[in-house]
Amino acid sequence: MAELLRQAWAVARKDLLLEFRTRTAIVSAVVFTALVLTVFNFGRDPTAVSTLDLAPTILWVTFTFAAMLALNRAFQLELENQALEGLLVSPLSRTSLYWGKLLANLAFVAVVESVGLPLFVLFFNVPVGRVLLPLVAVIALATVGFVAVGTLFSALVIRTRFAELLLVVLLLPFLVPPLIGAVQVTARLFGDRPLSEAVGYLKLLAAYDIVFVSLASFLFRFTVDE
Amino acid sequence: MPEVPQNAGYLVAAYIVTAVILLGYTFSLYRRSSKG
Amino acid sequence: MSLLHRGRWITLLGLALLAGVYVRALAFTPVERLQGPAQKIYYLHVPAAIWAETAMVLVGLGSIFYLFLKDRRLDRFAAASAEVGTVFAAIVLTTGPIWGKPIWGTWWTWDARLTSTLLLFFLYIGYLLLRGAVRDPALGARYAAVLGICGMCLVPFIHLSVYLFRTLHPQPIILKPSAPSLPGSMLATWLFSLGVFTLLYVGFVIQRYALSLLWEERNGA
Repeated sequence: MAELLRQAWAVARKDLLLEFRTRTAIVSAVVFTALVLTVFNFGRDPTAVSTLDLAPTILWVTFTFAAMLALNRAFQLELENQALEGLLVSPLSRTSLYWGKLLANLAFVAVVESVGLPLFVLFFNVPVGRVLLPLVAVIALATVGFVAVGTLFSALVIRTRFAELLLVVLLLPFLVPPLIGAVQVTARLFGDRPLSEAVGYLKLLAAYDIVFVSLASFLFRFTVDE
Repeated sequence: MPEVPQNAGYLVAAYIVTAVILLGYTFSLYRRSSKG
Repeated sequence: MSLLHRGRWITLLGLALLAGVYVRALAFTPVERLQGPAQKIYYLHVPAAIWAETAMVLVGLGSIFYLFLKDRRLDRFAAASAEVGTVFAAIVLTTGPIWGKPIWGTWWTWDARLTSTLLLFFLYIGYLLLRGAVRDPALGARYAAVLGICGMCLVPFIHLSVYLFRTLHPQPIILKPSAPSLPGSMLATWLFSLGVFTLLYVGFVIQRYALSLLWEERNGA
């Protein structure tokens, strides 16, 4: 177990170092998030629809895009440097390879979301002060779900021709259940409703994460073994 | 007694569409397997 | 008789019996008073939906066994079941709105069955695209199996999320479309239809399986 974590951390560290050395991907992801939020503002009529009604949707569309960006850049890195072959030849276990990639992807998305959330609060004037902790928890739960499946699927599409497009198409149905859960819980948090109303959705998110993180981590070896 | 809605047109459309899809797929399988 | 021919015969039988279902449903089954004739779309819509989903579960099961047993036959079966499942999902997604328009007033409703089937359809499309996109057949089979297993595991989550969404957002229902307890004659028609769709599934899968064999032979695999 300790060995798994050590190897995973080694993989994650390599990815993250590469990432933050160049910084282009993270900067463009953050800028893109700000752009999406801006577009949402100009796309609505504030007299017709209250901000609070749309807010959860806006937040989650933005975060979904952020997750997709993270996943796309993740394997671009591999393709460019043929790094994947190098990793496979090393004595790293396939599972720790998955966990390493997952951690790196999560770190990337977390950075984008940490910038995106304050921007969102600022642009749309949404009161999140009192519900900040549960909000962050929901964001974390849903994001883990997206990225866990996305990391696995990145490995599936890496050698195909329209890889980025195929990744989105494959991922779409898998994003819907956690998205439904996330949006509904977020809506209740913004509307100051008691969390007890959203218990079903929270259980959905938790179950989804447990099932798909385990499944993805187990299946990953089949995507990279020759 | 409320009148029974007159929506048979939709019924016919749905039955035709289903037949088209099933026959179309049958034909597709036939074409692909006899292209020699 | 070769596998392909057996498949073709079963399919032809299924299609002939389907004509029987049509006749029985249209001419010899009573019209439901509240919904009118359009309710009869149900006799095609629901069996198709059942098989669209069952086909995905079978893809998943085939995929699991393929990954562990490495038997190519399981992979061919999974590919076949996926393609046939897509066809049935297409039937659900076309008959659904055609039925929805007169009954609910709109072409599309985010009701449980249509929403689940839509997501299922995207799953199928993704699966078929992935199979087509990977050049190496052995690799493609393995990747497809991974996706197939994930897809099968997603199905309960689709149902759960859609169920949660609907129970907290009840839609204005004027008529109650889902009639689980069908009176005798209607039930018989429905069961007949389910049987025919089962037969069609089998016939189609056998043919598609035989097609995989044919392609492998041709490519010297």
